[in-house]
Amino acid sequence: MALVFAIIFVNSLRRYTVGQSVSWGEELPIYLTIYGVMFGLALAYMQDRHIRFTVITDFLPDAARQKLFAAVDLASCVTGIALAYSGHAFTVRRGHLDASGLKSTGNWLAETTGIEGLVWIAKVGTWQYAIAIGGAMLAVAAFLKFIERISSFKAVPA
Amino acid sequence: QTIRVAHVDPDEWTASKKGAAAHIFKNIVEGETDLTVELFPAGALGNEDELVAQAQDNVTQVVLVSGAMSKACPAASVLDIPYTFSSATVAWDVLDGEFGEALAEHCLAQTGLRTLAFGETGFRNFTNGTREIRTPADMEGLKFRVQPIPLYVEMVKGLGGEPTPIAWTELPNALSTGVVDGQENPVGVIYNNGLHKLQKFMTLDGHVYAADFILISDEFFQSLSPAEQAVVARAARVAGNMGRSIQQWGTAEGVNKVQAEGMQVYSPTAEEIAAFAEKAQPAVVEYLRGELGEDAVWIDRLQEAVASTNQ
Amino acid sequence: MIYAILLIGLATGVPIALAIIAALLVFMGTGEAPYSLRLVATEMFKGMNSFPLLAIPLFVLAGEVMNESGITGRIIAFANVVVGRLRAGLALVNIWASVIFAGLSGSAVADTSAIGRVFIPEMEKHGYSRPFAAALTAASSVIGPIIPPSIPVIIYALIVSGVSVPALFLAGIVPGILLAIFLSVFVMLTVKVDRGNQSEGLTAEPVGRALLGGILPLLMPVFVVGSILLGIVTPTEAASFAVAYALFLGIFVYRNIALSALPRLFSEAMRDSAVILIIISAVSAANWVLTYNRVPNMLTDWVLTNVDSRTTFLIATILLFLFVGLFLEGIAAMLVLVPILHPMAVGFGIDPVHFGILVIFNLMIGLITPPLGLCLFVAEGIAQVGMARLTRAILPFFLVEVLVLLLLTFVPETVIWLPRAMGY
Ligand code: NA
Ligand code: NA
Repeated sequence: MALVFAIIFVNSLRRYTVGQSVSWGEELPIYLTIYGVMFGLALAYMQDRHIRFTVITDFLPDAARQKLFAAVDLASCVTGIALAYSGHAFTVRRGHLDASGLKSTGNWLAETTGIEGLVWIAKVGTWQYAIAIGGAMLAVAAFLKFIERISSFKAVPA
Repeated sequence: QTIRVAHVDPDEWTASKKGAAAHIFKNIVEGETDLTVELFPAGALGNEDELVAQAQDNVTQVVLVSGAMSKACPAASVLDIPYTFSSATVAWDVLDGEFGEALAEHCLAQTGLRTLAFGETGFRNFTNGTREIRTPADMEGLKFRVQPIPLYVEMVKGLGGEPTPIAWTELPNALSTGVVDGQENPVGVIYNNGLHKLQKFMTLDGHVYAADFILISDEFFQSLSPAEQAVVARAARVAGNMGRSIQQWGTAEGVNKVQAEGMQVYSPTAEEIAAFAEKAQPAVVEYLRGELGEDAVWIDRLQEAVASTNQ
Repeated sequence: MIYAILLIGLATGVPIALAIIAALLVFMGTGEAPYSLRLVATEMFKGMNSFPLLAIPLFVLAGEVMNESGITGRIIAFANVVVGRLRAGLALVNIWASVIFAGLSGSAVADTSAIGRVFIPEMEKHGYSRPFAAALTAASSVIGPIIPPSIPVIIYALIVSGVSVPALFLAGIVPGILLAIFLSVFVMLTVKVDRGNQSEGLTAEPVGRALLGGILPLLMPVFVVGSILLGIVTPTEAASFAVAYALFLGIFVYRNIALSALPRLFSEAMRDSAVILIIISAVSAANWVLTYNRVPNMLTDWVLTNVDSRTTFLIATILLFLFVGLFLEGIAAMLVLVPILHPMAVGFGIDPVHFGILVIFNLMIGLITPPLGLCLFVAEGIAQVGMARLTRAILPFFLVEVLVLLLLTFVPETVIWLPRAMGY
């Protein structure tokens, strides 16, 4: 987030002062944000921050609601796994293409540092993989939440 | 069976080249076969890059795209070499002839997309707010907004101007605040977006000719009966010509309208165009040879095709 | 099947975004070719792959930095000086503090939580009932996204190409202030317990300090919104300037944001915007499926054959959004419905900017209608009076807001006069 802010801020300042902006000034913050969103998805799940619809569940007795939520955690975990698979398949299919704004920078980095691996910066697949990683993290977060709820059942006898 | 046809232009057929092409394609195919054609105009299914990807997966069967083609099939970028075509009719002859056929075959092998026909997005022209441009020398020191595409950067550098890559959405701001002095686009784009109100001069140098590609998923094409294939192929050629005609109409009308609204329009002579070409082509050709690797043969094949058409 | 998963998911409290994603995964994973599981990720990625969209996390970040820098207190002091002495003074301060807050923040939920924390206990001390205080806080906080800057406006402009953010921003100013005036008149007519704070002798010094304290934060909307309106910067860039300004105030001027607090602020902002962006991402994938199956075209045809006048269409739209607002979160509702309704509205000769503000105003009312009213949740979280009592207390405010909505609907000048006057 800090990086996203910094790039956009500095790049727009450059545009108004020097009249020039860098070619990756739009693409890179977008991709970083997508990673941020997918990280945030798992974090928000752990902290119960997601927007959900609670009218019906509010009417349930506490114990039943906790059990329902534990089931929801498991369902979310499965969703996360499926999303991770979907993201993986997406990247495998399309990830080899070049990200137009990052192409020259990525290749330049690889050439100047001599680290061949840095060309990955220029590939869209690197950034598309955010969906797969986010799905996997969501699965882990939902599973941890599930464990947490289950153990709280035991700690507080009904 | 259903053919989903997608493009990013408006649906309205009297002013939109791809819109018109898509409509006539639908009418012919539905009239002469049992196929159903559904139109998805105005980017409803995604931008051009996404449409190309969808067609490669046979998710969307027919797509009409321009710039996105050369990302999927780099050889197609040779069409962007500046001042290659002296007029639209030359471009039509080259694309509808042997060269176009060979390029289509090459791209089919590379992408799984069959080029059914070529339409047109039109010639791009320079505008600016400072002075009339008749020769490359007039471009010296002027800042031109270009698309963030290296080929355009090389071209403007070659002509002696200062290229500034700026996103399309930022262009009106950049022109009105003087971040850049000029820009380059097809006439229709300039008029429809009111850029002529921000710029005083236009030179009809026609530096880059943008073709539209009418593409079909080959997987889908092969699933059709020979009779259906014939109708689809013919409908696409008619559609391409329809798109070209609507584009020509829009350009001719636009040139008159921008003048009526106070823009000074200059049509360079053949000698002046030759001077532009001499400056712009070497830089771009050198850049493209580096980019294309073995596909660079398409540069020579195009130049031969143009030369034999011009004779 | 896909709808069953969606409904069961929503009813059992699965986060909305996940319920949509799960339904899509099942639909695309089990469907025949060309559907494939891969398309879910493809379309979700596409939904987030947009530079203008970045304005949202940046405005969320600016809002969180503003909150952290203790600006709420300064805004309240400022509003108190201006309207505190009138009848129902404290209720008025609550409303007009939200108007000022609106110029800083694009989010009603942030307003409810920042102002509610201070005002709900304070109003109770002065004799207001707790449910009334909570209801007023929620009701007035919806002014936030109507007056610029506004996240819903940015999203609206992303959905409808050709409608400009500056025009929509300008168009929201009058409706937001109208809403504040109607709420003010309403509380002045109904509140009996608070005769205003005229007893406290106001000397020039605290007045001056409160006004001065309000100046620096007030400069931000002037500066940020002004630069967008003048077309100097894009909303995304303006949002980054807003963040820079808020950080500057918090770190160097008020000195109540420690550098060590920054990582927490950044990660909270990322988490809170992820909650919004993941819904946008999921809904845009769902929209692709709907478009691909021509659902919008069918709905459009149906409406056009059954609705024949502009007035019927507008009333139907209002009822539809009020109804949908009961069940769907505002942004999701907008993403699903606006692409369908906007072309129809244009067909009926309705000004796109007018229509946009109506839709946004409508959805903001949805924030205070149970069962899924986010501002209501937040106010209830602070007041702890129970949803049932809060629902009764919110009803009169709901009616006032619907009245304002009708006024905006049938007197279009209230919305489009300002953008017209400024040349849009
Ligand atoms: Na606001
Ligand atoms: Na308030």
